[in-house]
Amino acid sequence: MAEIGELLVSAVAAGSIYGLMALAYLLIIRPTGVINFALGEWAMLGAFAAVALGSDLLIPALHLPHVFSFVLVVVVIGLLAAMTEILTVRPLIEKGAPILSPVLALLGVLVISLQVGTLAGGTEALPTPPPFGFRRVEMGFLAGTPQAFYIIAVTCVVFAFAWFFFERTVWGKRFEAVAINRRAAALMGINLRAVGLLAFVGAGIVCGIVGVLAAGASGAFYQMGLPLAIQGFTALVIGGVGRVEGALLGGIILGVIEALAARYLPIPSSLVLGVPLILLILFLLVRPTGLLRSKEDMV
Amino acid sequence: MTVEPISGTTRRSFVAASIVTAMLAVGGTATAQDTIKIGVITDETGRAAFYAKPVTQGVELAAKEINAAGGVLGKKIELVIEDDSAKPDVSATKARKLVDAGVVAIISNSSSPATQQAQSVSLATKTPHITPANSGETLATKLDNPYFFQLGPLASTQIKTLMSYTRSKKFKRVAVVGDNSGLSKIIAGVFEKSLTANNIDVVVSQIIPIGSRTAVPQMQKVRAENPEAIFQAGIVGPQMAQFFQAYHQLGMKQPILASFNLSIPAYLKVAKDLMEGVAFIDAYDPAKERTKQFIELYKKEYGSVPFSLPGYGYDGLYFVVDALKRAGSVDKEKLRAAMASTKGWSNVMGARGATVNLSEKDRRGFDPEGAVVRLIQDNNHGPAVHSGTK
Repeated sequence: MAEIGELLVSAVAAGSIYGLMALAYLLIIRPTGVINFALGEWAMLGAFAAVALGSDLLIPALHLPHVFSFVLVVVVIGLLAAMTEILTVRPLIEKGAPILSPVLALLGVLVISLQVGTLAGGTEALPTPPPFGFRRVEMGFLAGTPQAFYIIAVTCVVFAFAWFFFERTVWGKRFEAVAINRRAAALMGINLRAVGLLAFVGAGIVCGIVGVLAAGASGAFYQMGLPLAIQGFTALVIGGVGRVEGALLGGIILGVIEALAARYLPIPSSLVLGVPLILLILFLLVRPTGLLRSKEDMV
Repeated sequence: MTVEPISGTTRRSFVAASIVTAMLAVGGTATAQDTIKIGVITDETGRAAFYAKPVTQGVELAAKEINAAGGVLGKKIELVIEDDSAKPDVSATKARKLVDAGVVAIISNSSSPATQQAQSVSLATKTPHITPANSGETLATKLDNPYFFQLGPLASTQIKTLMSYTRSKKFKRVAVVGDNSGLSKIIAGVFEKSLTANNIDVVVSQIIPIGSRTAVPQMQKVRAENPEAIFQAGIVGPQMAQFFQAYHQLGMKQPILASFNLSIPAYLKVAKDLMEGVAFIDAYDPAKERTKQFIELYKKEYGSVPFSLPGYGYDGLYFVVDALKRAGSVDKEKLRAAMASTKGWSNVMGARGATVNLSEKDRRGFDPEGAVVRLIQDNNHGPAVHSGTK
């Protein structure tokens, strides 16, 4: 039982990160239809920003308390996302470019982000001190590191906030309206520019949060972006693009299946790597809308 | 349209221009003859950057010291450094660029696959080519390239040293854990083969995939088999951090034995406070006299204590310079012959008494008894506790 407890905590913590990445995709896809693969690199930049601000490894003079560096990182990556939207995506959408154009432009942003991260942060893995230290924490049959519990808690807060935003605020309804029918939403007086900008800023903020959490767990690393982008996308496909809860559900399912496969499948460890991708292919074939269907589909 | 004959003034300026051009050309040649160009292929931005950069720093330190002492053969050394991002195809292109720039030898500090590919150029252009640090087992044998010499400790030498240490500890059942990077898979494979050959059972073998966010499932699998020791074959920083975190979090106590990879200081940061007592292979004994001198020089230049990596690059350039002295010329053929006849040469790297020996038949120079086992102490590379393969 203790073993399952250890496994669950680590798997759900991993799944939380995947879920957050899926949420970042979803925030942009819903209103704009654009898939932004640069999200993983934004999380990487967030992680390096967390190291620069919250540890003595890149800028020894700073070493801010965790709360301050957390907020600053989120602001920085949010601004980066806003700039990206204004400079690369908005002009293309307003000129009526096909949807593939901003996706390709964002791939360019991916490459630039990766190189900037490598130049600024170097190629070594750099950690931030975990805010609650490193030890074994036990809660009933559950056991994990303080950072794992912290990741799960922060993820719950972020998703609660996202759920509240979409379900209970006018801005959330505007997002939904744009997602359902862009043109009709514009005719109803919804400011498409503002929705697009907010979508990117929201995704940037979530990526910043992922960066901070990941840096405290196993360090900022210049090659961490692509795996995050793939894991987040897989989680999104599993959970469905339609609803915020889907992103979290997809992330946790992915995390738990990965962990169970690695622990209990009687196959060589190297083959376990393929399990999430098999899952991705299965979902694309059998249930391309994901587990949770969006509300407009249910109407 | 008529063609006008060249007027007096124009002709004079034409002649003057020709003289200037000729002088420039002569000037250019004169500069080229004032220095001996040595090419360096490093990795600034790719996956090998974390070890290639410190090795190249060692080459630069040696160049500075050698030039301050008057250079070699009466000329200063000029390093021509190229970045290949650890991409084999780019490495070959950069080797070609270096040869075109007139280097007398190439020092490859990038990844083993990149160095392997760059050999296609050193062989074709008959340019002496060394790797001071690469440990790829077949680097000097895969291609019959008489111009290539490997000074880094072979993976097999390192593993034999680690096995000799393991035998002294009398382990019978062990685990092997790595990640899915190419180098880690190679190290894990070599670990398993050598352990089996030493009648030690590998009871469980695990891979922590690059980009995974936890190593708890893999380490639970290891814990369930209750091995007496764990062989760590990992390379990628975050996965190493996850390995050590899971090890402590799951309350494991087995000794950890690691490859030469842990001689790279970056890991001390990412798994800070979690690596006390870990044994790893190195080719560097900080208590050796020549090594102590190197440490002092490095401290004076960079204000910090060096790890072993810069020592490889430092030795690499000193090796080329030693061969240049023995060849007495910058002729690439003579330089190659001098390198191939190196006997009993030693510098910073290697255990006490270890020497570099090369021949036409065996172009792998590291002393088979020259590697050491060191322990991590206080988040730092500690003393050498074992050397050789006996």
